[in-house]
Amino acid sequence: MIAAPRLARTRDFARTTLTRRHRALVRGFAETLFAWDAPRGTDSAARLDAFVDDVDRFISPASKTLRFGLLAMLDVVRLAPLFLVGRLAVFEDLAIADRTRMLERMEASRFAPLCLVFVAFKTLMTIAYYEEPSELAAIGYPGAARERYKRVATLRAQASP
Amino acid sequence: MTTIERGREIGAPVYESADVVVIGSGAGGAVAAYELARDGRSVVVLEEGGYYAPEEYGAMTPSNTLRRLAREAGLSAAVGLGDTPLITTLAGKCVGGSSVLTGGVCFRIPDEVLHEWSKDLGLARMTPERLDPFFARVEERVHVETVPEHMRSRSTELFVEGARSMGVPMKSLRRNTHGCRGAARCNFGCPHQAKMSVDISYLPAALDLGARLFADALVERLDIAGGRVTGVRGRFLDQETGEPRVPFTIRARVVVVACGSLHTPVLLRRSGLDAADIGRHLTLHQAYRVSAIFDEHVGGWDGALQSVYCDHFLKDGITLVGVYSAANVLAAGFPGVGKAHRRLAEELPHLAVFGGMVHDEGGGTVRRWLSREPLITYRMSARDRGRLFRGMQLLGQMAFAAGAREVMLPLFGATTFKSKAELDFLTERPPPANRVECMAFHPLGSARMSADPRRGVVKPTGETWAVDNLYVIDGSVLPTSIGVNSQLPIMGVATMLASGICDDWTRLARRAA
Repeated sequence: MIAAPRLARTRDFARTTLTRRHRALVRGFAETLFAWDAPRGTDSAARLDAFVDDVDRFISPASKTLRFGLLAMLDVVRLAPLFLVGRLAVFEDLAIADRTRMLERMEASRFAPLCLVFVAFKTLMTIAYYEEPSELAAIGYPGAARERYKRVATLRAQASP
Repeated sequence: MTTIERGREIGAPVYESADVVVIGSGAGGAVAAYELARDGRSVVVLEEGGYYAPEEYGAMTPSNTLRRLAREAGLSAAVGLGDTPLITTLAGKCVGGSSVLTGGVCFRIPDEVLHEWSKDLGLARMTPERLDPFFARVEERVHVETVPEHMRSRSTELFVEGARSMGVPMKSLRRNTHGCRGAARCNFGCPHQAKMSVDISYLPAALDLGARLFADALVERLDIAGGRVTGVRGRFLDQETGEPRVPFTIRARVVVVACGSLHTPVLLRRSGLDAADIGRHLTLHQAYRVSAIFDEHVGGWDGALQSVYCDHFLKDGITLVGVYSAANVLAAGFPGVGKAHRRLAEELPHLAVFGGMVHDEGGGTVRRWLSREPLITYRMSARDRGRLFRGMQLLGQMAFAAGAREVMLPLFGATTFKSKAELDFLTERPPPANRVECMAFHPLGSARMSADPRRGVVKPTGETWAVDNLYVIDGSVLPTSIGVNSQLPIMGVATMLASGICDDWTRLARRAA
C-alpha cells in the first residue's frame, strides 16, 4: 500500500460550469427525461435542484473546450423547439408533453449531431439520476450485496469429505 | 516512509534532479518506474491526475469516479470522419492511470500479431519467446488468474448458453485480481481492492525502492538541448481552479514519456519533435454492448464484471467479451424518453449484457488543439464497419438463442428487437455507422515503434529516433492493433523496454554527463 498521504481525502477542485440559463434548461431536460406516472413526492422540486448541482459537478472537471462544447449543446436544445416541434418558445418553457416529443425527435433524428447532443446529456444525466439509492431500489437494484463469490465455499465444502 | 506529493497542496516552485523522470503513472509508467528503481536509479514520477487511495475510489459512485479519475470526466471522444461513429474514449487521469478503470482482463499479445511485428515490421525482439519472461514477471506481480466458473454472473451464463446452442465456444478469461467478490464494477475502481491495478501492485513497490511521485503535476514540455533530453518542466494544478499554477523543473539523465496514446503525441509535438508519424496510426478497438431482456430474474450485477470471451470469430476481426457495468451506466444506454425509458430501466433485474470488440485497421489521429486535451479523429474502414455490425448481429442471435424476450442494440433511436429475423438488417442493409454507440478503452499506436526512422517514432528499444535519452514506454509504441485488451501487453512491453534502459544505463549516463 502507498503510505497514507497528508490528507485523508483529496479535495475536489472548486469550479462550476452551468450558468443560470443552463441550469434551468438542465432542470427541464431532467424533468422530461425522468417523467413517468409514478406519484411524485412533495420534495421533487428540491430533488431536481439538487440534481442540477450533481450534473454541474459531473461536467466541471472537463477541459475548457469540452465545457464550452457542452454549454453550446445546451443552447442548441434551448433553441430547437421552433425547428423540432414548431413552437416559438425556449425548451424549458414548453409543456412536458412537448418537451418529450422534442427529445424523442432528437433521439431519432437522422441528423447525427442533433442525436448526439441528446445522447450526450441523456447519458450523463441518467448516470447521475440513477445514482440515488432510492431510484436504484425502485428499478430493482439491490445494492452492494453479492452472493455468487460465496459459492466457492459451498462447492469446496461439498467437495471435501 | 514513502509518500505521494499532492501537487495541489504545493505552494512554492519545485526544482529537483533525478536519474530518470517518468511522465505518467499508468500501466506503462508505473512498470517503468518500478523496474528502474529496482535497478538502483533515482526516479521521479509525475502524474497529471490526482491521487485517490484505493479505499477512497472504491467507495465512489460511478459519476464521482468518472469526474475525479477519468480524463474529461469520462466524456472525451474520438470524432468520427466519414461514416464513422463518435467513439467515447475512456482513459484514466489519476495515480494508477487507466489501470484503475479497466475490467482487469489480461491477454498476452497474440502470437500472430507478434509474428507480424517481428517478421513484417522488422521488430526482431517482439517474439513470443523473447517477451515471455517479461510477461511472466508482470503476471506474477499483478496476480493474473483465470476467472473461475462460479464467478460468472447469470448474465454471462445466458450468453454462454446461447453461444453453445449456436456451436460457438466461449473460454474463461484471465484477470489481475486477488480475492474478487464479483461486484461487477471494476471499471469504476474496485470496491474491495481486489483488482491489482498498478496503484496497488507496482507503484507502492517503486516508492518503497525510493521513487518519488508527484500527483497533480502537468508536464508542459521536455527540455531538449543538443539533440538530447535534459529534463522536464511544467506546473502543479491549482487547488481551487484545477488550472496549472506553481511551476516545477526536474533535471534528469533519462526521460520516459508514458502519458498514453492520447497524450504522448501532444507532449512530443509541444516539445518540438516533428516526426510525421507522431499522433498518427491510432488504433482504438471499437467496443459495443448488446443488452437483452429475459423473463427470468438475471441479476447480472452479481459476479465478475468480465469472465469469458470468444475468439471463434477472431479471423473475422471480432472478439466477443463478457461484460456488465454499474446499474446507472446500463440505464444510460436504454432508448426512450420518460415512460418509455423508465419501462426499460425497470427491466434491469432481467437484463443480460455482452460486449464485442473490433480488431481495427487503425485510422485515428491525435492532434494538439485548443486546450490541454487533444483532438482525436478516427476514420473507420469499410471492413471494420462490417465487423462492427456482424459482431452486434452475433450477440443478438446468441441472446435470442438463450431465450431473450427483447434485444437492445447500441443504435441511437432504435427500439428493442423481438426476434432473430429482425436483426438481419445489420448485415443486409446496415444503418449508418454514425448511429452506433461506440466506446474505446484501448487506444494504441500513436507514437509507434519501428525498425526504420522513416516509419515510426521510437526505436525498438523505446528510445525516440529524434532525441537521445528520451524514451516512450506506453501503449502508443505498439505498432498495430492487437485485437485484445491492452493492459497486460503494455505492461509486458514496458518491462522489456525498461529492462533495456537498465542494461544500457552506463552508456546512457555517459551520454548525459
